[in-house]
Amino acid sequence: MAELPQKEQLALHEFSVRYRAALAKQHQTPEQSLDTVRDAVREQYEQEQEIKRSPSVEPPSPTPEREPDEPER
Amino acid sequence: MDDLIKLVRTYRVTAGLAERIRLAEEIFRLIEPDLRFFVFSSVSHHAAEDALQEVLKAVATGMKKFEGGTAKEFWAWCYRIARNKLNDHYRSKAADRMQPTPPEEMWRLIEASAQDAPMSAAVRHDLEYAMKLLTSSKPECYEFLWRHFIIGLDYGDIAEERKMSYDSVRMKIGRCLDEAKSLVS
Repeated sequence: MAELPQKEQLALHEFSVRYRAALAKQHQTPEQSLDTVRDAVREQYEQEQEIKRSPSVEPPSPTPEREPDEPER
Repeated sequence: MDDLIKLVRTYRVTAGLAERIRLAEEIFRLIEPDLRFFVFSSVSHHAAEDALQEVLKAVATGMKKFEGGTAKEFWAWCYRIARNKLNDHYRSKAADRMQPTPPEEMWRLIEASAQDAPMSAAVRHDLEYAMKLLTSSKPECYEFLWRHFIIGLDYGDIAEERKMSYDSVRMKIGRCLDEAKSLVS
């Protein structure tokens, strides 16, 4: 297959660069995004700590047999 | 080695919370603009901010488990997460699926950003030509051209997204560009 036409590729590339820059300028502050990231990292860290703190899973100890009632007299 | 992948690797082995947050901030300052662009190009603008936050949360939560070793693999992984999140989003809110951005809106944005750095006549000519190529394409071709040339996804990314072979995508994009060119001229 023939190569993609160069002039069109360059024009689209220029458009991409300009449009991307324009969009980034319109949504300049990523503070909300950074808050989302910090919360996600914190949440994950807390879950890891929770798992570390919880006792390892062991088979439940058998329930002690109930002592037989003393026969009524 | 790429700074991004160094940061991701360090993040993976970091135990302390404060250090993890610092690294995550550095990583997301690098990747957020591209993910933002990807999401805002895929979902209608009124829904895009919420969708973006969901994507960022998913990437941040999954980063400890990322197993690749290169920036390219990391980007592919990020876009995979973004696509999955957007697919979930589409399932619940079909009306938010992207409609092609009206040309006037694209121009308005580009003109606004050109106020600080005025564009030359040659650049303006190129941009007008690019816009004609995009807007004269049929909807399916518009999607392919937009994702490859404007968002910057490579053939492999689009092939994965569309469940097509690499070569089919390559040929499709070539045909779409030729068709757009002939429609414009």
